[in-house]
Amino acid sequence: MPPSKVYQRGPAQLGFNVTPLIDVTFLLIIFFMVISNFITQESVNMIVPELDEPTVRRFERMDRVVVNIAPLEYDTIERDDDHLSWSGQLQYVKIGAKYYGMDDMNQMISELTEVSTSTTDARGKPQLEVVLRADSALYYSSVQPVMQAITAAGIGKVHLVSYLPQQGPTRSNRRNP
Amino acid sequence: MDDANKTANHRPRRKRSGNGQPRMALNLTAMIDVTFLLVIYFVVTASFSPGEGILTAKLPQGTGTAVLPKLPTKPLSIIVSDMGPTGYRLSIEDFVTENPPRDFRELYELLVRLQYDKAQGRTFGTHKPDDPVIIKPSGQVRWQHVVNAFNAAVRARYENIAFAQAQ
Repeated sequence: MPPSKVYQRGPAQLGFNVTPLIDVTFLLIIFFMVISNFITQESVNMIVPELDEPTVRRFERMDRVVVNIAPLEYDTIERDDDHLSWSGQLQYVKIGAKYYGMDDMNQMISELTEVSTSTTDARGKPQLEVVLRADSALYYSSVQPVMQAITAAGIGKVHLVSYLPQQGPTRSNRRNP
Repeated sequence: MDDANKTANHRPRRKRSGNGQPRMALNLTAMIDVTFLLVIYFVVTASFSPGEGILTAKLPQGTGTAVLPKLPTKPLSIIVSDMGPTGYRLSIEDFVTENPPRDFRELYELLVRLQYDKAQGRTFGTHKPDDPVIIKPSGQVRWQHVVNAFNAAVRARYENIAFAQAQ
């Protein structure tokens, strides 16, 4: 076994001490891993509508609640060919970290009402922005009860999510046939 | 035989420091380790999903407490019915035409024709841009077609668009 560098004889070797660098790097890695979990908790994997000549604008960072309406679970590769032919039934609604089924609409209404009333302006009008993110293959009959629940919570306006121009699964396929 | 001798007498190219002085070198191994870890981490966590944007819409009326402006008696109603498992059929309520719109581009063109907006040079239609437009989808129509119909109305510069309950 070679002797430790501390007890080596002769002139000292010149070198960088990278130990603090490694310490800090590991701290950063852990920090980003934790943060990325928080970010992915908000959105659900789905294929949102892809529009002809979309007039959508970019998603700005605003005070908003994202309402995700998830389809039945799917395999991304399996759904690539014809994503619209997937089941139109809703699996769950996810707001923040909470999940709601079709039978939990009343609970969803009361919680959304609570949030919307806490963000009213001077005239008592709700200032809450609701972003509705629903899968393109869902039936309107699956989405409409959720929209109705949002209305019942006193919110009259939502932002519908779709792909930006030149984005979306079909357009990517066309680019790489 | 000659080759074997060459190998036996091979001397490394790198010269040893003759005077016994230690060589100065950076130990980069740890940094490379960490860099690779970081690269792998970012490759794994990066999402390659396409960008998403938003369209602002009004919600269906009927129940609830949301206060929306009262609609005039004759709104422009776009009917989106389902056809087959993923198809759709478009029509405008109380508007009889031999050539109903076959896709959303044609729906947009029809909505432009039906609009009266002097500033835009649209003088043949009867519906002003702030007149109400109601999207009336059937229950089995896919959400993609509903949003596409909504998008066509926004593109045609209608400002007061709402959704009806499932037909």
